[in-house]
Amino acid sequence: MRDDERSTRRATEFVAFTHAHRADLVRTAALLCAGDEAFAEDVVQTTLTRLYLSWPRVRRADSPLAYARRSLTHVFIDEARRAHRRRETTMAEPADALGTEPAAADADPALREAMLAALASLGPRQRAVVVLRHWHDLDVAETARVLGCSTGTVKSQNARALAHLRTHLGALDPTLEVS
Amino acid sequence: MCPTDDLKRALGSVADAERPVADPAADLARARSAASARTRRRLRLGLTGATTAVVLCVGAALVLDRAPSDPGTATSVPDAPSSGVRLVAERFEATPYTFDLTPEGWSVQAQRPAAVTIAPDDGSTSSSPDDFAGKLVILFDGNRPSGRQLEHEGRLFWVSGDSGYTALATRTRDDEPAGVVRIQYPDGAGWDLDSMVAFLASVHVGPGARQGLG
Repeated sequence: MRDDERSTRRATEFVAFTHAHRADLVRTAALLCAGDEAFAEDVVQTTLTRLYLSWPRVRRADSPLAYARRSLTHVFIDEARRAHRRRETTMAEPADALGTEPAAADADPALREAMLAALASLGPRQRAVVVLRHWHDLDVAETARVLGCSTGTVKSQNARALAHLRTHLGALDPTLEVS
Repeated sequence: MCPTDDLKRALGSVADAERPVADPAADLARARSAASARTRRRLRLGLTGATTAVVLCVGAALVLDRAPSDPGTATSVPDAPSSGVRLVAERFEATPYTFDLTPEGWSVQAQRPAAVTIAPDDGSTSSSPDDFAGKLVILFDGNRPSGRQLEHEGRLFWVSGDSGYTALATRTRDDEPAGVVRIQYPDGAGWDLDSMVAFLASVHVGPGARQGLG
């Protein structure tokens, strides 16, 4: 296959993938970034660029979306731990950043606000564990593979994160259960 | 409602916010731009699949072989650098090296006793720390510095370069392991000589550093 044909094929596949899955990646990034939409968009853009640069690997993956979610998680953790990045300090209250962002029509604003505050108070890796385990329904072993840590670490991070969320969300609604 | 559903509903309240639909063409344009930048850098260096050993040797050879030294014509470098890459006065560690300045948008990719690799955050370079194309490389060795001489804050620096890369060298401070610390950076990546001199001057070589074989 000639170079220009290869390039066209890559571009076509990339656009189709982005069209189908960008919204999913943005939702995941919004959770990882605790509602910081600008940060989430940065993470998604960086992830998509990396995916394009290594497109043959994406193409070969059993599930390109799972591959993309894994890349997204890595980009988020890399970004979150950069010494010169101080996004958290620019936000007085995590919920404030979302104040201008319209919520879904049927969303509970109080629940959303409490969830944002709860997520923002977790460390980046704990947040990633919660998102992978309870939003994407990955099992402990798969979560450990994505994060490059042991299953024991995932279990302990998950337990601590859930206890934290229980405290935050339980104050909002005692009938709300988190486990 | 079961507890799992409760948590998922709470997470959904954040994830499912309404957002404007992005145009995939913009993502494609960004990705293609990054791919082009990567290709240009690789072409400039003449590498498509670089290896650590080869690039280390090339980097050191550039420093040693280019422009003849002229110790009598040292020029002064301004203290306030200005370039496309912004240096932030923030200390970071890449043991055994410490930097008083942090290049915004670049991050440490690999740290070894004889070298530190720093790559741009935009994903335009290889994720392999052994591929130096388009990245900054800080090297420590015992080879004699050579090239055009500059003075900055009382220290001498030697600058040379070719093939799309510039190399800069200076001797370590009296209280550091004896040797020469060098930096090799890609031209056209937003760096200029003034900022790079300031960046190299901010490097502290710790006791764990080992001289490479460049």
